[in-house]
Amino acid sequence: MKKVVIATTIMLSSYLLAADSSQFNMSDKDRAMYQEMLENNPADIFVAEGEEEFDKLIGEKKLAEFLGVNEKDLPKYIAGFPRYVKKLDMVAGLDQVMQAILASEGKEVPKLKSKKMFKLLAYVKSLANDEPINIDVNANTHIKEAYKLGEKIYNTPRGGRGLACLSCHSDATVGMALRTQILPNLGKVKAGATWPAYRMTKSSLRTLQRRFQGCMKNALQAVIPIGSKEMVALEVYVTNMAKGADIAIPGLKR
Amino acid sequence: MGKALVKIKPKKYKVGDVVKVDFIAIHPMATGMQKDKKTGKIIPAKYIDNVEFFFEGESFTKLKVWESVSTNPYFSVYFKVTKAGKITVKYKDNTGESGEASKKIKPKAA
Amino acid sequence: MKRREFIKGVVAIAPLSFIQVDLFAKAEKPKGKNAMDIKTALKELTAEKEAKDSDKVKLIVPEIAENGAVVPVKVEVDHPMEEKNYVKAIHIFATQNSNVRCVDVSLTPKNAKAYFATRVKLGKSQDVMALVELSSGEFLKAAKPVKVTIGGCG
Repeated sequence: MKKVVIATTIMLSSYLLAADSSQFNMSDKDRAMYQEMLENNPADIFVAEGEEEFDKLIGEKKLAEFLGVNEKDLPKYIAGFPRYVKKLDMVAGLDQVMQAILASEGKEVPKLKSKKMFKLLAYVKSLANDEPINIDVNANTHIKEAYKLGEKIYNTPRGGRGLACLSCHSDATVGMALRTQILPNLGKVKAGATWPAYRMTKSSLRTLQRRFQGCMKNALQAVIPIGSKEMVALEVYVTNMAKGADIAIPGLKR
Repeated sequence: MGKALVKIKPKKYKVGDVVKVDFIAIHPMATGMQKDKKTGKIIPAKYIDNVEFFFEGESFTKLKVWESVSTNPYFSVYFKVTKAGKITVKYKDNTGESGEASKKIKPKAA
Repeated sequence: MKRREFIKGVVAIAPLSFIQVDLFAKAEKPKGKNAMDIKTALKELTAEKEAKDSDKVKLIVPEIAENGAVVPVKVEVDHPMEEKNYVKAIHIFATQNSNVRCVDVSLTPKNAKAYFATRVKLGKSQDVMALVELSSGEFLKAAKPVKVTIGGCG
């Protein structure tokens, strides 16, 4: 398996510009300008809308109850998602938890891939802002399995170009430019702590799993459905890379 | 027409201080030159074209805005605090829709 | 089958030059009804009066913009904002967009600071320009090039 990944990386590297891709590398000054934009993130408005919806439909009390935690421990608990949720008997994201709560009350259930759910998810995750990601991939057999599955998917080449996530997001390729954009180290950019985020190229609020889908499409891989066992596993694996990083929702991404 | 918000920075200030007024609106700012990917039809131009900043009803900044401004636009200016009151930002777009957002100016005692 | 897929991959992965690619569809570039070039826009505002390049006009833009949809632009003018002597207006231009005009800012002494910030769409790499109008009737300007990188995966 590793041989195949290395082979595709070598094929890929002829299209990746060498490490000195200074023509695409933003200066520190530029980076500071983009950092500053976080202070006025259009997604702040979407998160505020998510807050309104959440308080109307669910509320922190109900969410804490469903998850079996004290309301005051909710932010820290949120900072450990995706988790094995007893009531659902599966490893799930907060969006799936919210769906379950609404379904149990006979209320309308927003689709996982909907703008409404993205706003709800962004708001709920923002309750854990400034908390460090504390996902524990060894907490129980279920999350252990999910982590293993996520790692497998990350490393397995598939689709038209025989690419795996690892082909572009590995120590060997991080820092190189692909299609004029510098490939990021998903742990260093704290993907797990900064999504959901405002995507500038889409002018909208997007979630991490949604971003994975965009990446998969571009890599000519079959797109995995949001909320599927595989997608949640991938999110577990990538979120773990940002373990210890402070949550800051909403993020701001290209 | 989506929501909008006004932010004042810093959080603490007194009369005589100059504060930063940030305004963000949710708005497509469609240029009228892009095609809908699904239908192939041109998406009609819909963009904020006028913004005005008021303090207690008196205008202190006016913007004429064009379609080259990013979707979900952001505008920032400064303002000298003279007394307590409300800053209101009113905006309208080329189709006639309008909206506004405001924030109270609450200077601390000197 | 593998070869065809590989070739498809080659065409799609090939890095895009950030100089030549336009944000808009490749065929015809439609002209909106607001279309105006920089020469005309400047003439309209200055009535052919000279606009001097001045380092009092601090135009802050990224050297490399990682996308053309949201490019931050900040203008600070080193000039008083007093009742009879202030910066009356700041005009921001994307010199190669089909409509170069971005924002026309009318300031008053109540602003106390000659400053404006926004985010603009740049159709391609180009100079961003700030034209400043003083209450005295004088015009100042500054321009800076912004490289727009268009690409990425998804």
